[in-house]
Amino acid sequence: MQKSKKVLLLGHFGVGKTSLIRRFVSDSFTDNYKVTIGVHITKKVVDLPSGTKLSMILWDLEGTDELHLIRNAYLMGTHGVIFVFDVSRPATFQHIDRDLDIISKKIPKAPLLVVGNKLDLVDKGDIKGLLEENAIQSDYLTSAKTGNAVEETFMDLAKRLDL
Amino acid sequence: MLNEKEKLEVLKDILFTDDRDYVEKISERIVQLEQILHDRQKLSDRVDPIVQGQLDEFTKNIPNTLGPVITATLKEEIKHHKDEVVDALYPVMGKMIKKYVAYEIKMLSEKIDDQFSFIKTAKRKFRSIFGNVKEEDLLLSELSMAKIEQVFLIERESGILKAAYSEKDTIDEEMISGMLTAIKSFVEDAFHQRDQSLELIEYELYQIHIQSFVTHNIAVVISGNYLTRSKNKVQDLIFNFYNKYMAMNLDLVMDMGPGRDGEPVTREDIEKELAKYFGNAKI
Repeated sequence: MQKSKKVLLLGHFGVGKTSLIRRFVSDSFTDNYKVTIGVHITKKVVDLPSGTKLSMILWDLEGTDELHLIRNAYLMGTHGVIFVFDVSRPATFQHIDRDLDIISKKIPKAPLLVVGNKLDLVDKGDIKGLLEENAIQSDYLTSAKTGNAVEETFMDLAKRLDL
Repeated sequence: MLNEKEKLEVLKDILFTDDRDYVEKISERIVQLEQILHDRQKLSDRVDPIVQGQLDEFTKNIPNTLGPVITATLKEEIKHHKDEVVDALYPVMGKMIKKYVAYEIKMLSEKIDDQFSFIKTAKRKFRSIFGNVKEEDLLLSELSMAKIEQVFLIERESGILKAAYSEKDTIDEEMISGMLTAIKSFVEDAFHQRDQSLELIEYELYQIHIQSFVTHNIAVVISGNYLTRSKNKVQDLIFNFYNKYMAMNLDLVMDMGPGRDGEPVTREDIEKELAKYFGNAKI
């Protein structure tokens, strides 16, 4: 069985949304940072244990510090969301509760994964302590640079979308 | 002297006098009925008024008997399948309005063409002289026919591709479908045109004609000279196809699809229809 699902990547500027997609889709990484303007769309077809061939249409939205200003038109019809923050920049997760609240109000039915990216830039022990201090519950800690937990993140969402 | 048999006859005569009259009457009636049955005209004369009477009575009673049931059923269907109903009506109404407007514009355009065709010829001659291009080539390029290259049926909100028709291999159709939706959403949102929609994107030699419906968008990629008359033809194709597509879905919703037994409409089914409507279409 073949299905297509729209997946949205949201988060502040420069948290690595595009890099995560690039790692997942083409298993590559570049340090050359180019800001995403508007939206960029890519696709990856994954085979799920259920036998479903899931076509994940990945909407990479430009980063913003004000999530409530994202155009509603981009959010419509979204099946799944990945919220990305940068574990090395507290500013990107300081108001995570408010950000997640905005997302779940704008896209109430879609499954949501919270991902802390750029794990390669910090000490694992430090970041765990920092996240606990700030009461942040992330589903995955990833590194687009090393590929750590990237595949697992997207595959987890794919399985949730297949339900 | 009467023998036994004759005595019996006399006795029967005495005993069954009344019954004999009755049997004779029945026999006469049967003969009459047989004659009526064998004579179709006579039968028709007798039966038709009865049937007509019943039909008149039935017709007269429809508003009182079946009317409320039909109205309630329709209301219920519309309530539960509002989008489908609007989508089913939209192409029909759109087509009617569009045809009327197109006809009026065509008349106007022909009148203007008749009066100004010499300007076009003169313009071509100038372009030929100053542009160092053969007039025949310019004429050919003017006459280059618009051609449908690709068609996408896209879910309006998500941008998910439902089906596509293409004569050539292009980059991933699902990504194009997503990007078209994003561009369309951006333009409509940016200019706050809630009731208006982006209908045409021009890119070098290509035009992308986008028709919005309630639940879907249809994007048609066209190469060549895309004139108003070609646009009208493309719109007709779009409306005709969408009508068919909605009918396919209604068949599914109502479980009436001939031989489908409630099977979902597959992407292959829709793509066959797309190819049938848009493949080799002269625009």
